[in-house]
Amino acid sequence: MATNTDAIIVKKPPLGIRMYKYRYFYLMAIPVVVLLLLFFYWPMLGIRFAFSTYKLKHITSGQGPDYSTGIGNFQKLFTDRFFTDSFRNTVILSFWNLVFATVFTVVVALLINELQHEWGKKFVQTVLYLPHFLSWVVVASIFTLLLSAGADATGADTSTVGFINAVFLKLGLIDKPVSFLTETSTWRPAWYIIQRWKETGWGTIIYLAALSGISPDLYEAAEIDGAGRMKQTWYITLPSLMNTILIVFILNLAKILNVFESVFVLYNDLVLSVSDVIQTYTYRKGIQGNDYGYATAIGLFKSVISLFLVTGADYVAKRIRGYGIV
Amino acid sequence: MKKNLLIRLTSLGLAVVTAMGMTACNGGGSTGGAGSAGNEEYSKPESIKMTFDTCMTFENGLQDVCDEYQNKTGIKLELEKPDHNKYYEKITLAFASGTPSDVIEMGSTYYPENANNGALWDMTNAWETTEAPAKAIIDASYVDALKIDGVLYGFPTVAGNGTVTYVRQDWLDSMGIKMPETYDEFIEMLRAFKGRGSGTIPLTAAGLLNNGETPYDIYLREFYQDAIPDFYQKEDGTWVDGFSEPAMEQALTRLHDAFAEGLIDGEIVTNKTSTCRDKVNAGLVGCFNYWAGMWCAKLEDATTGTDPNAKFAAMPIIKEAGHYTERVPTALVITNNCANPRGVFEDLIMYSHDGGEGQMLFTHGVLDKHYVDNGDGTCTALPYYEDPTKLCEKSFYAPELSISEWNDPIALDPRVEESLKVFRDNRTFASVPVVSDVISENLSNLNVVKGEVAANVLHGNISVQEGMEKYNKDAGKYVEAILADLNS
Repeated sequence: MATNTDAIIVKKPPLGIRMYKYRYFYLMAIPVVVLLLLFFYWPMLGIRFAFSTYKLKHITSGQGPDYSTGIGNFQKLFTDRFFTDSFRNTVILSFWNLVFATVFTVVVALLINELQHEWGKKFVQTVLYLPHFLSWVVVASIFTLLLSAGADATGADTSTVGFINAVFLKLGLIDKPVSFLTETSTWRPAWYIIQRWKETGWGTIIYLAALSGISPDLYEAAEIDGAGRMKQTWYITLPSLMNTILIVFILNLAKILNVFESVFVLYNDLVLSVSDVIQTYTYRKGIQGNDYGYATAIGLFKSVISLFLVTGADYVAKRIRGYGIV
Repeated sequence: MKKNLLIRLTSLGLAVVTAMGMTACNGGGSTGGAGSAGNEEYSKPESIKMTFDTCMTFENGLQDVCDEYQNKTGIKLELEKPDHNKYYEKITLAFASGTPSDVIEMGSTYYPENANNGALWDMTNAWETTEAPAKAIIDASYVDALKIDGVLYGFPTVAGNGTVTYVRQDWLDSMGIKMPETYDEFIEMLRAFKGRGSGTIPLTAAGLLNNGETPYDIYLREFYQDAIPDFYQKEDGTWVDGFSEPAMEQALTRLHDAFAEGLIDGEIVTNKTSTCRDKVNAGLVGCFNYWAGMWCAKLEDATTGTDPNAKFAAMPIIKEAGHYTERVPTALVITNNCANPRGVFEDLIMYSHDGGEGQMLFTHGVLDKHYVDNGDGTCTALPYYEDPTKLCEKSFYAPELSISEWNDPIALDPRVEESLKVFRDNRTFASVPVVSDVISENLSNLNVVKGEVAANVLHGNISVQEGMEKYNKDAGKYVEAILADLNS
């Protein structure tokens, strides 16, 4: 007689049999796997160029990369003032941008969520999403005009200053025009503001989706318990959003070092010391200088740092909240 | 069973689609024509792939020019015209990926670099041995200007041209000022322009060092004068760094002083050429250094929209500056990717300078589409497809900058001729920039330091002396490496 302690052992059929059984699923997966290998993994073979001297002449002469360089590109990297400056700037710009992005998008999403009128809500959402669809070149042109200190370097003639300077002068906040995009003290704040203007609206989408998934029962119960709007937000909405915030934060952390376009179109010789980032430096070396080996080394270094950041953040999230996303 | 069949068919379909996609990715168009027969003999190419920047747009009938070329020669011309701002990025990536076109338009900054990298076909022998009628009418000095150590890697499309300082003649006339001849008179003129009232920009320019393209001092000759912000060879043959010389200190001082006085556009560091033109066209600018030739008429015509009295005149170079600079001509290079380079040289390059139908096609476009024949030996340009208010200026080659002696049936605007005359009477020719591996490796960082120093001195963030100290400190190792290489 069998007892309840007797285990029923189900033996799995061999892998080959199982694969044959699900052969059509495997067949359907082939295109995805092939594309994944082709566009994500095959290009990774290019990492080897980081350990070589590889310039345009190596391609045109057909001789290929010179691998005798070894780790030479990395040694050069850490002794190059432009790289260390750009690395520092990347970390500073990206860190604060990430902080502002997280705070602003959550706050704006909460505010949009509080709008009761459906038409008004959609209108606000549309207006906030629009800047995301403008190219960085257009955005840079708009803000260069808005933030212009005018054509008179002495500041005496204010007839050609941009809108922001005109308003500040009118309000008496400044006594002479400020060239926000050519002064080292104002370039970064201006960049953060431009970033938020362009991307905050778009960033709220994922939070609004998460907000719509919070059970209304929780708010109903809190209301019965006497919780006002603020307490409902603090004790129900934010804790419910925390998973989403965490996921978005970690995903954004992976991209933290990928700042390029927004800096490239807004930086200039006067603010290079606070604005040059790894990607713009790589562009100069790789595209303009045709030094592909060195540029690949910079890219590889950047990827390794990003990997550490993501796994580190995931580890911290697991320690604090008990789970991460990796 | 039906469901099973559906799954099978779907899977099979997806697999087939993927396989087709892969095949499509792998396919490549053929370039060049029949096999090359070396430099002495050649066969006519079947098709030529060309990448060009400074030509008319497809919207204005560029494809019609290509079709007409095929009608006349039997050669298919496949043209690529990347976005102007990304042109050299696209070219560089094409070389890097081993897929450059057969023929590429290439400016003087990139031409020696690619020649040095062995990416370009040596056309010296082709030029020397060609029997094309073009050879008799081409000004060989423009061809020689592109030779590197006696080797020709590219053929000039048009004269290199250069920039000349345009001044608002109507402002001078209204204030009773004569065209300046010295630096002091030039500064006095700018002061007088500034005194015209609010909104006036005495002088504008797009950047201080020509955005890192040679010659670096082309736009602000009145301020640079004898300073050369680049490496140059002295009479004894040794190379020196012009940026670290006393002449450069004096140039930076002049720039700083004029800027501090409000005589130079406060936005010069962030200006692009398009923003400068907008300011000029708005009637705000008194003095603007820009390309000689067609731009004189274009600036004036655009400005009369806001100021009907606007009149521009090209200023002869002031005494202290000595000369304007004619750039090395823009080259049409044949890449080593081209299967039939000699054929392309003869049937495209020589044909386009033949002083006849080829020259007409590559200069003015297609008969009855871009110009009409008046029947009296002259022709008249037709309006652009896109903008009927403007007449077609060129298809590929600017007519006023032709390197051939030919009877162009479309007469030039007298303003264009006048501005070119002023420029050519005051010019010296730039030579092809020297390149080497060491220069290529260090130049991008060096140019960044130069830009930083010049901009910060101009704005008064640092003094001229501090600027030079910063330059020597930050750029020292790059300068030393380049000089050691040049002088070795």
